[in-house]
Amino acid sequence: MPFISKIERQSDYNRFSSSTPIVIDNGASYFRIGWAGETEPRVVFRNIVQRPRHKSTGETVTIVGDHDPALLKYFDCTRSGPRSAFDSDVVFQFEIMEYILDFAFDRLGATGSEIDHPILITECVCNPVHSRSKMAELLFETYGVPSIAFGVDAAFSYKYNQQRSVCDKDGLAMCPGFATTHVIPFVDGEPIYKGSCRTNIGGFHVTNYLKQLLSLKYPYHLARFTWEKVEDLKMEHCYIALDYVSEAQLFQKGTKEAEEKTKMWQLPWVPPPVEAPPSEEEIARKAANKERQGQRLREMAEAKRSSKINELENELRGLEFLLNQLGHFQESDIPSFLAETGYVSRQEVESARSKVVQSLRKQKGEQPESEKPDVPSNEKYTLINIPDDMLTAEQLVEKKKQLSLKSMSDGRQRLKQKRQEELQERVRKERLEEEKHSKNPELYLEQLRARYKDLSEKIDQRKRLKTNGGSSTNGNGLAGSVGRGERLNAAQRERMRLLATAAFDRGKGEDTFGAKDEDWQLYKLMSKDNDDDDEEPDEDTTELARISSKLQALDPKFVAAGTSQPAEAPRARPLTKEDFQIVFGVERFRCPEILFSPNWIGVDQVGLDEMAGVSIRRLSCKDEKLEERMTNSILVTGGSSLFPGIIERLEAGIRMIRPCGSPIKIVRALDPVMDAWRGASAYASTPGFYTQTFTRMDYYEKGEDWLRNYQLRYSL
Amino acid sequence: METEVIEAELVLPNYLSFKRIQMYDKYPKGQSRGRHWKHLKQIIQAENYQNYPPDEPNYVNIESPPSMHPCKRICDITGYEAPYYDPKTNLRYANTDVFKMIRALPNDNVQRYLSLRNAAVVLK
Repeated sequence: MPFISKIERQSDYNRFSSSTPIVIDNGASYFRIGWAGETEPRVVFRNIVQRPRHKSTGETVTIVGDHDPALLKYFDCTRSGPRSAFDSDVVFQFEIMEYILDFAFDRLGATGSEIDHPILITECVCNPVHSRSKMAELLFETYGVPSIAFGVDAAFSYKYNQQRSVCDKDGLAMCPGFATTHVIPFVDGEPIYKGSCRTNIGGFHVTNYLKQLLSLKYPYHLARFTWEKVEDLKMEHCYIALDYVSEAQLFQKGTKEAEEKTKMWQLPWVPPPVEAPPSEEEIARKAANKERQGQRLREMAEAKRSSKINELENELRGLEFLLNQLGHFQESDIPSFLAETGYVSRQEVESARSKVVQSLRKQKGEQPESEKPDVPSNEKYTLINIPDDMLTAEQLVEKKKQLSLKSMSDGRQRLKQKRQEELQERVRKERLEEEKHSKNPELYLEQLRARYKDLSEKIDQRKRLKTNGGSSTNGNGLAGSVGRGERLNAAQRERMRLLATAAFDRGKGEDTFGAKDEDWQLYKLMSKDNDDDDEEPDEDTTELARISSKLQALDPKFVAAGTSQPAEAPRARPLTKEDFQIVFGVERFRCPEILFSPNWIGVDQVGLDEMAGVSIRRLSCKDEKLEERMTNSILVTGGSSLFPGIIERLEAGIRMIRPCGSPIKIVRALDPVMDAWRGASAYASTPGFYTQTFTRMDYYEKGEDWLRNYQLRYSL
Repeated sequence: METEVIEAELVLPNYLSFKRIQMYDKYPKGQSRGRHWKHLKQIIQAENYQNYPPDEPNYVNIESPPSMHPCKRICDITGYEAPYYDPKTNLRYANTDVFKMIRALPNDNVQRYLSLRNAAVVLK
């Protein structure tokens, strides 16, 4: 049940006479103010201040307490987070304290030129004098308060409960608060600060811990886990387990009890609109569209082709006509005739014509002549077979050209053949596999799976070797890891060996490696090794990919294990409803457990149950009866004591440290949150209150030392 | 100011009748006030508690000692009991499934888990 602030402006300020004290409970979480003698504080709000800038006017304003976030949209809150006047449980930021007091008095209805009532304000145990004096100064100087009294909130709570006979006059007050936890022993109704004990763990740390855990577990929903929301979750669902280890084991085993104890928070989630399967007409219409488009494309292609064929035929006719004309002429006249057309000689015309014929044939869809390359090759290589000495110099050059041409074309032939063979081979293999699959699907799948497992293990191992080689030397810095990580691989070992021998050969204090050109041949050897190393895994991974794709196609149960990139977030599948559920199981009792084991946060202090023992020990009283009386009346108060199960756990813990059979009685305060204010209010309404306050005159005359020793006497 | 903001009385008014010195006089604009105030550590240091007899309780005296009981080790990720510890990342884990997950975590998350325990690597 989250706390609700009460910040309505009170209208009856003037009803109260100048002698009625104002009671303030200045807590790290909430600030409560009211009149002495009443049971409820008039104004309650969160003890934080925000100073955002107004978006349109630009002025910086002050907002105290937490307010409706809808109204805050008029302000630019980016540079102003909520700030508290507290550091641990001591007030140190008095400017913020002043804003808070301003707001509090304003809402209490204060009018007039100064606050003319004595004030009782709470502080932490053994408040440093600096903080106390600054607070006194603030109240005296700025607000004109006539007199002040300081008290400890846990003590007020204890006194209040003592008057209600919840606890005795000798006892122990345990107060887990917002930022700290105190344990104070009481003897004869007075707190003995010598025996008190403080651990710096409180509700704030529990909420923080929960917030961090949730945001680490569900990084996708980070924006949802605001501090206020997490605090609500904590107050509603967290509990303290009687024995942490056994509860954790319940959850680990996944028993039914664990399931019952797990709470789930469903975040709002809208499923993406499911596309209705297209109806028959839709499909038919789409198919018809596609047909029409295809038809159009085909027509266009046809038209283009026919136009091109026409063009080529025209050209051909022109060229043939030209050739005919050429035939009528003499050799010598040809150049002059041809100059007009742009061709230089008869051969050119003929070659152009043959080209046009070929392209025409291709357009018409005939096969290009495949014997053509063979025929010219036989013509061209005439010179090769003739031995050298029978040829002239020119012909020798020719012959060399022909040789190279022949070797090139031979090579090309061979490549083509090899490719064809490979293709056939692959086709044959697939056919074989298909046969195997059809004959005995189970066996085939088994074999595939086994092969897949082997391959993936091999790859994993290789990867592990690589990363382990690199990671085990992480501490030695980069140079070390490079050196040692490389050597784990056979190829890289070879590389190091070569380098080492090269270095060794030189020796004699002088490094003459590289003086001769042959030295650098060393690197040629090395780089080859590196290449091998890189290629090898590629083979395996391609094989693996092939097998996994086949398995996925054939085997319904197969799930491709993420061997390649385990670090990739598996978000390929669309988000389902489950992704938007926050499961709240172990965290429910893990987070409040830090009150008992602050070590889990890194705070090296005792937990709540041991604090009782420490406190009793510090009292160092010789009277055993007193100790027994004290453990017989242990009061648990403070905001963080509202976790269910805390009383049983404390009892078990304290029984461990006390002698066997001693009486232990632990009670929770009537209202752990409000009791501090109520106790203070009851105290302030007693007539003896005025003996405990100090005025402005006192403060200035007696000085700081007196203030240091000032302690309230609680039993009047 | 928008009307609803004024009506809700969200903002602290600048002038309050019961104050002797108003805020705008006390803290004139343009000065950075953040550094005025001493933090708790500085306050404690200025107190000079060592000059006073150690019998008297003061803010530092009352602090709790470290725990006598051996610390219960729990898994950083799941919260179960964790007898094992990963030397590479310094995280504690409960069983092999959690271990696989730990090895798959990006370094950022590892440091955040460690900082929960106040065991992260802090570079100053």
